[in-house]
Amino acid sequence: MTGSAVLNTVAIGDIQAPHLEYGQLGPMLLVFGVAVLGVLVEALVGRGWRQFIQVPLTFAGLAGAFVWILVLGVKDKPLHVAAEGAVGVDAPTLFLQGTILVLALVSLLLIADRQNGAFTPQASALPGSDAEREGIASGTVQSELYPLMLFAVGGMMLFTAANDLLTMFVALEVMSLPLYIMCGLARRRRLLSQEAAVKYFLLGAFSSAFFLYGTALLYGYAGSVRLSDIATATGNNAGSEPLLLAGIALLSVGLLFKLGAVPFQAWKPDVYQGAPTPVTALMASCTLVAAVGATLRVFYVALENMSWDWRPMMWGVAILTMLVGAIIAITQTDLKRMLAYSSIAHAGFLLTGVIATSQAGLSGTLFYLAAYGFTTIGAFAVITMVRDAGGEAGHLSRWAGLGKRSPVVAGVFAFFLLAFAGIPLTSGFTGKFAVFKAAIDGGATPLVVVGVISSAIAAFFYLRVIVVMFFSEPAADGPAVVTTIPTAAAVALGATVTVVLGVLPQPMLDVAGQAASHLFVR
Amino acid sequence: MNYLILSAILFTIGAVGVLVRRNAIVVFMCVELMLNATNLAFVSFSHQHGNLDGQIIAFFVMVVAAAEVVVGLAIIMAIFRSRRSSSVDDANLLKY
Amino acid sequence: MDLYIPIIVLGVLAFGFAGFSVVMGALSGPKRWNKAKLEAYECGIEPTPQPVGGGRFPVKYYLTAMLFIVFDIEIIFLYPWAVAFNRFAGWFGLIEMVLFIATVLVAYAYIWRRGGLEWD
Repeated sequence: MTGSAVLNTVAIGDIQAPHLEYGQLGPMLLVFGVAVLGVLVEALVGRGWRQFIQVPLTFAGLAGAFVWILVLGVKDKPLHVAAEGAVGVDAPTLFLQGTILVLALVSLLLIADRQNGAFTPQASALPGSDAEREGIASGTVQSELYPLMLFAVGGMMLFTAANDLLTMFVALEVMSLPLYIMCGLARRRRLLSQEAAVKYFLLGAFSSAFFLYGTALLYGYAGSVRLSDIATATGNNAGSEPLLLAGIALLSVGLLFKLGAVPFQAWKPDVYQGAPTPVTALMASCTLVAAVGATLRVFYVALENMSWDWRPMMWGVAILTMLVGAIIAITQTDLKRMLAYSSIAHAGFLLTGVIATSQAGLSGTLFYLAAYGFTTIGAFAVITMVRDAGGEAGHLSRWAGLGKRSPVVAGVFAFFLLAFAGIPLTSGFTGKFAVFKAAIDGGATPLVVVGVISSAIAAFFYLRVIVVMFFSEPAADGPAVVTTIPTAAAVALGATVTVVLGVLPQPMLDVAGQAASHLFVR
Repeated sequence: MNYLILSAILFTIGAVGVLVRRNAIVVFMCVELMLNATNLAFVSFSHQHGNLDGQIIAFFVMVVAAAEVVVGLAIIMAIFRSRRSSSVDDANLLKY
Repeated sequence: MDLYIPIIVLGVLAFGFAGFSVVMGALSGPKRWNKAKLEAYECGIEPTPQPVGGGRFPVKYYLTAMLFIVFDIEIIFLYPWAVAFNRFAGWFGLIEMVLFIATVLVAYAYIWRRGGLEWD
């Protein structure tokens, strides 16, 4: 068909307005709308007032969207394709979006806590300059942070819901671009923070280019970027095989990068360490949920007929991710960096759930995400509380003897670490159990064996931190524990959820199971 | 078909450029080259399939690329002003 | 061929206007020669010798350039919309575009109020 013929076929008749289901798209529209409102507040409101308006506004936006999702989930059996097929609103999506919103609310507690002073008063001021000192003295903050966070959260929600690869790409960028900026906003250790932002940005842009080229090849194969059309095309064996396989490979690179799976994990430790800790908490929980959600949808819907082709590759990636994450974490001396490697290992555990491609695998992954998100936010919240003269005391040696000076904080942190390790009666155990069981049922027993070995290795370095905290003498000039109400609330929430999901996991497992019962809409 | 080969070549040049160049701005330009190579692929696939989806996607990619440029340059400027260097080899505080 | 007549007419008009302006300027303008007029034209500022290593641009240029890129690229959505404007059924096309422009205006308001457009 020639170019002019294409134009002619389109030029017939009027353009009908697309049908948009505003009710189902509401949560995302609300978050984006509040974000735009936040930008307007930044423009029109005086400097002193901005913070006081932005924080409640952000809270209201996130909470309102969460309530909306609850209503959508309870009111009907959600299994719709909305916005002319661009967005899928189904039970797993609502579960993931709800999880993202709750985790974002908890992270917001940390971000909005002005006393922990994690953020620079003025991002454009040079480190160590007069302008920066002036900003710190006046007590202002860079309140653009809140709209940025809302845009990122909105992007994450759209990323999990995207039903075609173009929407997914746009959502990926809407999610990532604010995060790149937020990484560079730390008040202390500005150079580290900016370096983290540059690294995250360059690698992130690199990986999204791969994602996009994969999209282009799949479009070339199937003639459409809709996930369901790609699935149909692969079922009919239409088009050229090399195009399809190359497309899947490139698309996976983009998705696995966002997950932080080996061999695309290099950014994670650097970014987690350099970024302001509240932002790290947001990334470690919400971004992971969004990335896993999108990965699930792509592999469950678009590539389900191709599972014999991608499964060996994903096996390799999952095994490497679990082992490399756990082994490199052993040598870490910085706590945030150690948690970053632990997050890489957890991404590997989550991948075993993706590989299972079954209802049990999906529900296990959903539960795991909710459980892990709360634990990880709690852990990073504790890290913001333990402070030296120069800000957070991130080095492991500074934590020596913390258990003797502030047993509660050290005890809670030890509990979070045990949950990461997957000790029974914590949410980590239930999550791992659910995912591994699904993997065994799906015939991936070797993966589970590797997972258990990796957990054992990981338990070693978690225990080492606990030993350092409780069984070594505190240094004379050790760090102080600074408790503020919002941060303490975040820690308490994280700990409570970790306990409840460990001791009484059944209600949450039921919710996740119900959400997964119809898999994804197509 | 020739356009697809050209697009693949451009994409590869961009990817190699990202890996071997040192200056953050040049690395970034290579990423943009990759995105534009993708646009070429989208448009030629669109022609091949006879539907307009690919051309519309190219529009979106351009806008996203512009947004990426702005955010990226802002971040690179920030680190350049505090370090007086935009070489990615000098960004070496975070390691191991 | 009929399709191209408006373009050709427009092209002729453009060239004609350009030629007319140059000729009229040369004929009607006053002629005073001095040294500055013979130097290379650099946006009205005095040209400086090329510094070693390419020199540095003031950071102001970068901000303006970036703002230009962002707002310029939004136009890309206006072109297809404008071309198809008379084929939209109902108000949908107009309302959507107003919403889009309003969102862009919010960003503009932010830049304006926060001094992004101040040159010095």
